[in-house]
Amino acid sequence: MSDDAADVQRVLSGDVDAYAKLVDRYYDRCARFAIRMLGNRDDAEDALQSTFLRAYRALGRYQERDRFSAWLYRILVNQCRSIAARRSHRERVFVREEALLLNAPDKTPAWTGEDEEFVQRVLNELDPLLREAFLLKYVEELSYEEMAALTGAGVSALKMRVKRACDRLRERWERIRDD
Amino acid sequence: MIDPELDPDIEWIAREAKRAVAVDPMAVERVMARVRLEPRPRVHDLRWRWIVEPRSLPLSPLVGAALAAGLVGIGILLGHSQIDRGGQTTPTGRPQAVAELRPPLAPHDTVIKFVLVAPQASTVAVVGDFNNWDAQATPMTRTPTGGTWSVAIPLHAGRHVYAFVINGANGTTQWVADPTAPLAPEDGLGAPNSVVLVGGSAS
Repeated sequence: MSDDAADVQRVLSGDVDAYAKLVDRYYDRCARFAIRMLGNRDDAEDALQSTFLRAYRALGRYQERDRFSAWLYRILVNQCRSIAARRSHRERVFVREEALLLNAPDKTPAWTGEDEEFVQRVLNELDPLLREAFLLKYVEELSYEEMAALTGAGVSALKMRVKRACDRLRERWERIRDD
Repeated sequence: MIDPELDPDIEWIAREAKRAVAVDPMAVERVMARVRLEPRPRVHDLRWRWIVEPRSLPLSPLVGAALAAGLVGIGILLGHSQIDRGGQTTPTGRPQAVAELRPPLAPHDTVIKFVLVAPQASTVAVVGDFNNWDAQATPMTRTPTGGTWSVAIPLHAGRHVYAFVINGANGTTQWVADPTAPLAPEDGLGAPNSVVLVGGSAS
C-alpha cells in the first residue's frame, strides 16, 4: 500500500490529522498549477481550499487502484474551471465549440522585465482550455492519456489544444522579439 | 529538455512556469482548520461502490446457469420499464433530460436517474457536486434503441448542482445544463448548471 493509500485509510478510520500529511504532500504542486492556471493568488487559494475540502468530503469514494495524485488533480482541475468560469461573464469556455476555441483571436502582453511575471502574463492571455492543456502537458508533464482522464476531453482534442497553445505562445514570442 | 520536439522558446516558457511558487506557510493549516469542522468522510459510499463495482465470483456451472436465467428475467423487467418511459425521447436530436426519483436505497439516500437525449454524442457523463465535477466518475449508458443516455446514482438528501458532459464524435466536448431542470443561480456567471432537490420540496 502506498503512503497516500495508507494515509487515506487512516483518515477514513477517523484520524483527521493523517489528512494534513496528504495536504502537505500535494499543496505546493497543486498551488503551482492553480496559480499558473488562474493567474492570481487569491483565486488560486480559493481553488486550493475548495479542492482539499472537497477531496476530504469525497475521500470515501477514492479507489486505491487510482493514484491519489491523479484523483486529487481531477478535483483541482474542475475547481479551477469553476472559479475561472465564475470570474467572468464572458468566459463561457466550457460550452464552446472546439473550432471557435482553436481560432479565437489573441493579444500580446508587454515584456515586464521579470521572467516569471512575463510568463504568467503570456499564459493568462491564452484561452483557459488551451492554458490548461499546456500546463498539464509541459508543466505537470502528464501523458495525453492521463490528461484525458483528468479533463474528460479526448486525446486528439487535447493534442490539438496543446499544439494551438504552443503556436499562440510562439507567435507572441516572435512578436515581442521583433519589437 | 522537457520534450525533444519542443522548440527552445516554448521550452523556456515551460521551464519558467515549472518553477515552484511561493506558498503561504499557513495555507495547509487553513485547509485543516476547515477540514476539522467537517464530519468524517462518509463510509456508506464504500458500500455502494461494493455493489456497483465489477468483481469475480467463483461459481459452479449449475449455479451459473441458474443465475443466468434469473438475469434474463431481470433484463426483461428492465426492458419493460424502459418502454414505459418511452415518452421522454424525442426525434429532434436536441438533448432532453429528466431527473427521476426512485425509492430510497439507504435511510438518507435516494437513487436519482439522470436521462439525456443526445443522439449525436459518442459518450455522455453526468457531473456535479456529488462526484466533484469529475467527467470520468459517472458515465451514462446509451439505450440500445437510440440516442437516450441514462445513469442512476444514489444522492444524499438536499440540493445538488449538476450538468452533463457530452463528447461528440468529432472530438468536441460540451458541458450543458439539463434542459428540463431548474438552472443553478451560479449559471449567470459561468458554465450552465442545473439543480435537483432530493428528499425535499422545491423552493
